[in-house]
Amino acid sequence: MSTTLPWGRRYLMCPPRHFGVLYEINPWMRTEVTVDSDTAFAQWERLVDALQAAGAQVEIMPSQPGLPDLVFTANAGIVDATPDGSGRPGRFVPSHFRHPERQPETAVDIDWFARRGWKIERLPDQLDHEGAGDALPFTPEGGRTVLVSGYSFRSDAAAATALSQLLGIPVRLVQLVDPRLYHLDLTFCPLDGRRAIVAPSGWDRYGRKVIEALVPEPLVLTEEEALSFCANSVVVGRTVVMPATPVRVGRQLEAWGFEVVECRVDEFLKAGGGCRCLTLALDVRLSPEPAGER
Amino acid sequence: MATETIEVTGHILDSLLLPKILDTILEAGCDYEILDVSIGKTNVDPSRAVIAVTGDDEVLGPVLDDLQVHGANRTVQPDATLVPAERDGVLPAGFYSTTNLPGEVRVGGRWLPIENPEMDCGLVVRGDRAVTVPMHRVKAGDMVVVGSDGVRVAAPSKPRDTQVFEFMGSEVSSEKPKGLLVARVADRLRAARERGGKILVVAGPAVVHTGGGPELARMVEAGWVDVLFAGNGFATHDIESNVLGTSLGVSVEEGTPTEGGHANHLRVVNEVRRHGSIAAAVEAGYVTGGVMRALVEKGVPFVLAGSIRDDGPLPDVITDTVAAADAMREHLAGVQVALMLASTLHAIATGNCLPAGVETFCVDINQAVVTKLADRGSHQALGIVTDVGLFIRELADELMGQP
Repeated sequence: MSTTLPWGRRYLMCPPRHFGVLYEINPWMRTEVTVDSDTAFAQWERLVDALQAAGAQVEIMPSQPGLPDLVFTANAGIVDATPDGSGRPGRFVPSHFRHPERQPETAVDIDWFARRGWKIERLPDQLDHEGAGDALPFTPEGGRTVLVSGYSFRSDAAAATALSQLLGIPVRLVQLVDPRLYHLDLTFCPLDGRRAIVAPSGWDRYGRKVIEALVPEPLVLTEEEALSFCANSVVVGRTVVMPATPVRVGRQLEAWGFEVVECRVDEFLKAGGGCRCLTLALDVRLSPEPAGER
Repeated sequence: MATETIEVTGHILDSLLLPKILDTILEAGCDYEILDVSIGKTNVDPSRAVIAVTGDDEVLGPVLDDLQVHGANRTVQPDATLVPAERDGVLPAGFYSTTNLPGEVRVGGRWLPIENPEMDCGLVVRGDRAVTVPMHRVKAGDMVVVGSDGVRVAAPSKPRDTQVFEFMGSEVSSEKPKGLLVARVADRLRAARERGGKILVVAGPAVVHTGGGPELARMVEAGWVDVLFAGNGFATHDIESNVLGTSLGVSVEEGTPTEGGHANHLRVVNEVRRHGSIAAAVEAGYVTGGVMRALVEKGVPFVLAGSIRDDGPLPDVITDTVAAADAMREHLAGVQVALMLASTLHAIATGNCLPAGVETFCVDINQAVVTKLADRGSHQALGIVTDVGLFIRELADELMGQP
């Protein structure tokens, strides 16, 4: 049994009071498709319950009219909860959204974190990066945390350099090539210090090699499995909360000792988001901990 | 064909970004040259690569757009800032001070090669030509490059011949087998000759004092010298040794001082002045041998630059130092090898005018001369610490066989 993920016990979520498909910025969105608000709300609450049942805490950010995608908190930014001795909860690097439709979310996200004492660190203005949607940490057993950052559809490759300098950690870039898998978190889900769910069909050949070198035991999804959004799962210790569970994938996870909890979020899939997209882990520690903190 | 420079920073190795960028360039049918790479020391430190991409105009643009997706951006290359010189002989404030390396200036989006690399000059753009101009030769209205924007200088290139490069690798070689060094210098002279390059000799009076004069004259006669720079001393002692058999009054044959010899060189200078020029003195039969006579007879140009402590001087000596330096510049085009023979001040003065691409050998018994030459910016110079008379004899034998 491998060590569990060192993060994933505290999440920020936003209720879908103002959620809907009001514009089209990815191939899944169709404005003519209506979202059933009650169903969406019920699915979202079930996800909250599932995460809490798995042992995670959930914090709530109020929804805002006119910002339907605020519900996808994974895209708010990048969180680093490494203690820095200042007494602050950590650092928050807010996203720079590529699409103007989502850009107003940033002010709301900054406000939420700033009010709670997080140190806000900004990327250079001209660089796009969509937060934890395009950047997930992987901490190899006995190794140093690496931030894996996807680019092309929503984030700039050059933002990785800026992130690395800002956060002081290595960042590995993976180019995303399938517009249906437009964020990294649709193709990559770290499970523990050895394993991750990976969807190489979403990456170019260099990106595949980068992940191959990083993850010793990948659970490799077929293209079809990847398009079920099963990589867009939330891992809480040994529990994996998934929007869909292809049989083969579920069996493999169980064989590795994970408990699989399927949590349908179909209303959100209409906007191209699954379980992971609806959550932002608040307990990610990216920096090597200062001596004495261990 | 066009060339653009791109820069990419970050974890370009771990993320396989660098190979991806290079592959993208090649797959598009373009070519690349990595101009600079710095690798981060730890896996957090960013690495950085500067890459020149060359390709057909219609392909290059799209490739660069592709590369931008991977975070590789065109390095910002503004045009050079040009400011007209207000007065003759005065460069605008903030003028770009040149190096002796080959380089280019960007004007109107085009890179113009610097035609005559010379260190410590201004850079003047005339139409589609870029030339180095010494301060005193700048004319009012000349468009002078100010600041370093839009100027790029090539890194010093390695000589093609690796063996020579190895031996050029150590700047000063006082502890290398001299015979080997002499043979290799001879090889470089032959190679320059085959390429049609000119050989420049800068000679100090010690060439004559150490008995190297006849050997150098033999090299001139055999066509191994295309131009010679020296001062009043070298020419005077060369003529003295041939007319009176002494160098600074000391018998070249016997090594003993001759009676009244201290004035020998003055008498010689006086006689040449009576003839009006060295060439006239040769023609009149006053100078019967030596390097200066060989130069005159072979029609090989020479420049004698004066200095404040010259006796006489000889009528050919240019006493205006600025005019002398200009006269030296006139002869530098096409020079591929420079032999600096036991001359400190003339060697440094010449080194200052030479492009870095000229293979330069500095022969002196004093290591400090060689070091000084390199310290003044002539990094291409290889120093050979030895007695110059012996060196010339061996070099002449190497080139022409023993007489």
